Amino acid sequence: MIPATLNGYLAIAVALFAIGLVGVLVRRNTLVVFMCLELMLVASTLALVAFSRFNGTMDGNVFVFFILTVAAAEVAVGLAIIVALFRKRQTIQIDQLNTLKH
Amino acid sequence: MTLEAVKAAAESNVWTAIFPELMLGCIALLLLALEIMLPKRLHSLIPDLAAAGLLGTLIGFLVNWDSASVGTTTFNGLLIHSPTGQFMRAFFLLAAFFVCLLGRIALAKQRMPRVEFFHIVLVVTAAMMLLAQSNHFVTLFVALETLTIGLYILVAYHRTSTASLEAGLKYLVMGALSSGMLLFGIVLLYGVAGNAALPGHTAQGMNYAELARFLAANPNNFVACLGIVLVLAGVAFKIGAFPFQIWVPDVYQGAPTPVTAFLAVGSKAAGFAVLLALCGPGGAFAPCAWLTEPILMAMAVATILFGNIAALTQHNVKRLIGLSGVSHAGFLLLGVVAARQVPSAVGAIQFYLLAYLIASFAVFGVMTHLAGAEDSDQELDHYAGLAKEHPFLATVLAVGLGSLAGIPPLAGFMGKFLVFVAVFKAGHGTSLIIAAIGVVISIYYYFGWIKAAFFESWAPAADAAPARPARTPVGLAAGLALGTLAVASVVLGFWQGPLGSWLVLK
Repeated sequence: MIPATLNGYLAIAVALFAIGLVGVLVRRNTLVVFMCLELMLVASTLALVAFSRFNGTMDGNVFVFFILTVAAAEVAVGLAIIVALFRKRQTIQIDQLNTLKH
Repeated sequence: MTLEAVKAAAESNVWTAIFPELMLGCIALLLLALEIMLPKRLHSLIPDLAAAGLLGTLIGFLVNWDSASVGTTTFNGLLIHSPTGQFMRAFFLLAAFFVCLLGRIALAKQRMPRVEFFHIVLVVTAAMMLLAQSNHFVTLFVALETLTIGLYILVAYHRTSTASLEAGLKYLVMGALSSGMLLFGIVLLYGVAGNAALPGHTAQGMNYAELARFLAANPNNFVACLGIVLVLAGVAFKIGAFPFQIWVPDVYQGAPTPVTAFLAVGSKAAGFAVLLALCGPGGAFAPCAWLTEPILMAMAVATILFGNIAALTQHNVKRLIGLSGVSHAGFLLLGVVAARQVPSAVGAIQFYLLAYLIASFAVFGVMTHLAGAEDSDQELDHYAGLAKEHPFLATVLAVGLGSLAGIPPLAGFMGKFLVFVAVFKAGHGTSLIIAAIGVVISIYYYFGWIKAAFFESWAPAADAAPARPARTPVGLAAGLALGTLAVASVVLGFWQGPLGSWLVLK
């Protein structure tokens, strides 16, 4: 059993954040990009809970609820836009969404 | 937590201090209720009600300007009521009022539900006003996300237009990415500020004042510096500063014109309100000025150059105004850098923002009248011959663009002048050379636009090129508003009056 240390949690959080960031920049499918964005928020949440636990302050735990609410709102709006766009263009590949070029 | 502590916390909840925001929330809900209850033929009253509600809130707010809560923190340190915050609140109310006026004109050209647009504008305005007063990272994050998520919907509002939806998706991905970075920065700052092994550690790491005290004790802590950089990156996305400006031209082009105006004025000013609270005099990051100042300075210089040079080649006026807005963000960033040493820079930034609001809405108002059913298709060529057909619109356009370019007798010139003086006083004289180059470049493309409106005539192409959209006749309210904006641009250039002395001497 590996002992639960702050650094361990932070390492996982940073790894998740990095995976999310690289995914947003590299992946071409809008839905996958969207999942990567959520991964970044989850990484922050994990780090927040870990800090809150090891620093002995409750603020972080409370902040998590705000982040979850905000993430849910973001997903609702985001999926609505993706669905509307798919109906219009029949694709959600980022490189095919190029109407806006001068 | 004891009962006494809970009581003390509850006593700091001064609801009257955020009365304007509560008012906006109530009006927003009222609009939705009215849509259900009113008969169909009266639905056209709802946008007027939204505009009237905003104007009423603004007047009520100005009457109660010197309310007792100014200079205090309320809601257990979540909000701070400063003169800067008061100014920004009035600014956002004014901006939202003009967005509603533009919205009435622009939405009439589309087969779109009307009420939700105004509902979201009101909610977003309330979020911006809270953001300008936030004193704690939780308020900052929640207000910023309310603002951004509302704007995602507004940008994608023309859901039958591919351009609008694509712009919405791009803004969503970029906005969520920046929020993620901002949030991770906040988490790092909170975590390191609460670390009991460090000197000056605090249990309230998300409170600005507590965080500033912690940073003063550890100005070189690596994790804290990383957090600061991530937070600055997140805010830089919102204001469209280089290298986070990639979304600006596409989103500005695709969004409905009133929303473009809201993004250009409201959202950008909200970003600067945050930046002033964090990096300004006495801000949360002030003890780490060795780190923030070079970053902001480099960003400002690159933003001015990039915005102006990229705007040179644009033919679509929405992209053009977006990129010129990027360069305005650069000038404002210079002011933020100067604000730590020269307190008058804060007033200069506010005057700049006000002049920018007045000039931008004059230009966007003209753009709204010239746009057709496809909102993203607004080319420079469409302006040919405007001076002959609509001398009024052409004059408003010329005054607005001249003010944006910073031509001497207009308000935009005074804004730039005040900011540059502050930057010079702060000892950043060399950056002013870049700023001057930027101003010169900007005159070229602004005057290209004015030239199209005044000196070119419209020759319909012989081949089957798409015709330009018909001009919308100017209504009474819109004409009055545009005239006021043009006159205000001229008057504020000559005479700043009590407003100027209040901003600079405060």
